[in-house]
Amino acid sequence: MTTKPAKIKKPIKLSRLISKTIFYMFIVTLSVAIILPAFFLVSLSFLSTREAYNYPLPLLPTLKTEYSMTFGDRGYLISVYDNFEEEYQTVLDTSETEKITVYMRNQLGTPYTIPEIEEQIAKLESGAEDPVYFSARKNIFLNYISFFQISRDAVPALLRSFQIAGLTILVSLTIGGMAGYAFARYIFPGRDALKFSVLFVRMFPGVAIALPMVIILANMGFYDKPIGLVLVYSVGSIALTIWITASIFMGIPESLEEAAQVFGATKFQTFLRVTFPLALPGLAAAAMYAFLGAWNETVSAIILTQFNPTFPVVVYQALLGAVGNVNLAAAGGLVMAIPSLIFTFIIRRYIQQMWGGVTI
Amino acid sequence: MATLKMQNVTKQFGRTVLAVKDFNLEVEEKEFLVLLGPSGCGKTTAMRMVAGLEEVTTGNIFIGNREVTELPPRKRNVSMIFQNYAVWPHMTVYDNIAFALKLKHTPKDEIDKIVKESASLAKIEMLLDRLPSQLSGGQQQRVAVSRAIAVDPDIFLMDEPLSNLDAKLRVSMRTELKAIHDKAGATTVFVTHDQSEAMSMADRIVIMKDGEVIQVGSPDDVYHRSRTIFVADFIGTPPTNFFDVSIQKESDGTHLVNPHLNLKLEPEMAKYLNGYNKDHLILGIRPENILLVDEAKAALSASCLVSEPQGSHQVVAIQLDDNIIKAVAPAAPKIAAGSNVYLDFKQATMRFFDPDSTLAIND
Repeated sequence: MTTKPAKIKKPIKLSRLISKTIFYMFIVTLSVAIILPAFFLVSLSFLSTREAYNYPLPLLPTLKTEYSMTFGDRGYLISVYDNFEEEYQTVLDTSETEKITVYMRNQLGTPYTIPEIEEQIAKLESGAEDPVYFSARKNIFLNYISFFQISRDAVPALLRSFQIAGLTILVSLTIGGMAGYAFARYIFPGRDALKFSVLFVRMFPGVAIALPMVIILANMGFYDKPIGLVLVYSVGSIALTIWITASIFMGIPESLEEAAQVFGATKFQTFLRVTFPLALPGLAAAAMYAFLGAWNETVSAIILTQFNPTFPVVVYQALLGAVGNVNLAAAGGLVMAIPSLIFTFIIRRYIQQMWGGVTI
Repeated sequence: MATLKMQNVTKQFGRTVLAVKDFNLEVEEKEFLVLLGPSGCGKTTAMRMVAGLEEVTTGNIFIGNREVTELPPRKRNVSMIFQNYAVWPHMTVYDNIAFALKLKHTPKDEIDKIVKESASLAKIEMLLDRLPSQLSGGQQQRVAVSRAIAVDPDIFLMDEPLSNLDAKLRVSMRTELKAIHDKAGATTVFVTHDQSEAMSMADRIVIMKDGEVIQVGSPDDVYHRSRTIFVADFIGTPPTNFFDVSIQKESDGTHLVNPHLNLKLEPEMAKYLNGYNKDHLILGIRPENILLVDEAKAALSASCLVSEPQGSHQVVAIQLDDNIIKAVAPAAPKIAAGSNVYLDFKQATMRFFDPDSTLAIND
């Protein structure tokens, strides 16, 4: 008869335990550092103004608000239930129903119509209840709606930003891609010096060369026009595009193109059927950088536009306090982040699409 | 299928580099022609000019009756197998083979038929759905071969197609390529730096050096009747042995003499020297034509440096001053290193070279 050997639990080595703990602490810290600000931005964009300026700031937005109403000195005394203090706090004492609804909408994000509030007043007047308790559902997207209502430039600015980003991709990929191909395929005097020098343009901070740029663009008649910004952004992203595409074109063996030509393709067909699909990951990466650069750029846009701002400028102005509150600015910021996210996720598929034998 | 003619073709890179000098060549229909030479001799450049991948500096190229000198590659109706295969990594094997046919707008069912035919000729019919990255080097080479067959070209160009394969596969692919050539009956120009590849495959070999054609001939020609010292040295493993000898006319006939060697020439060999008025020449002899003989008959005696058994035979290396002479001897008896060997030459196979022009005297 055999007896089952008792399972011996392996002792975990202390050094391993410590190193693992440190590793996970590091990972968690890193994720918190990245996720927390993003979470904060998202949460803030859904908070009502009263919540946003409250202390302490709520972690998550509420979905509805509890009100109580009783008679006050000047009319009706409106109180709001505070989730943190766990009590009703008086916010308003007025007899004007319109003032009440405006307050409910703007400060607490709960749209309430005048007939609805009058119904509650009637309940109070009839003496059936005192105080009257009622709740109103919060319109979670109110900040976004308000942002576009208050910043009159927002929608045209958004379209303008799309236009500028799209054109920047087009210009920098056309010029940068062709230049990158030339750098990869042809040997000419001064090639390395030239390739390095295209990076010089990226060394100057936008603010530093803002004044000459304004003057030059004004002379060209492009000041405060999308095309002006496209030019400014393209200069920077062409340099990056050249470096990205040159390295990927260098990774494509010339014999693949030669084979295509021998087997009946014109130069253009060769490019379309062989070079382009093989270079797609690099072109996609370059397009992504061009898009993100043009879409997120704020400093030059502030300087180079006046009446036709781009979307980041509008968000920046919202943040300045000229138009609205932090929660509105957060909503604007998120609106700005979403296209970047979507574009990056779409393009990611192509960047990952590395063919066998071809590496960046 | 068609002939290929290159007339006075020259290729110059930049201002100074002459890659191909006054190249003249005619390739016959269905011929398997090998361009052979050390690296940098211009053989690949010559082939790329036929393909249209390099511009011709001067001269003309004809395929059949068409002059193609100025035509772009796609209009020449040639197909090419590249050294690194050059199969397109983003296309399946099927699409690789069908590429040229699709560009020509061949009907779909016909493409399908041709692709399957040429794939089965190269034995890759079960790989048609794969991407090249899923294939081994040898399989990729087969894809390149069937892609080249599929277009039914006038000329096949092969640019060192076997040099990226491992040694064993190289030898078996050699046989297969030759078989495919015979089956397809295609005029083929094959570039290689491997002389044994050239010897085993070629109908004719063109030996090039520094952009110039040194000798054109059948494998037998270039091996047994090498036109220059370079050819004699380049072809054959081990290569030809060379002796720097002086000619001494004595009462019993003509002798070739150097400090180690005293060889009395047979009358029929001696007559080659009649028109030769220098007192020195370079004697070339293939290792298998050096015979191990008795001491009495020896033209040369020396001690064996090392003997390399090869199974069917052994290669005996002998050091004479700075030169190492190699002779091929039967496998038995085994010759020990350090033992004395006595050698004689098969005189009929000897080559005499002019030391200045390096050209052969006895043709």
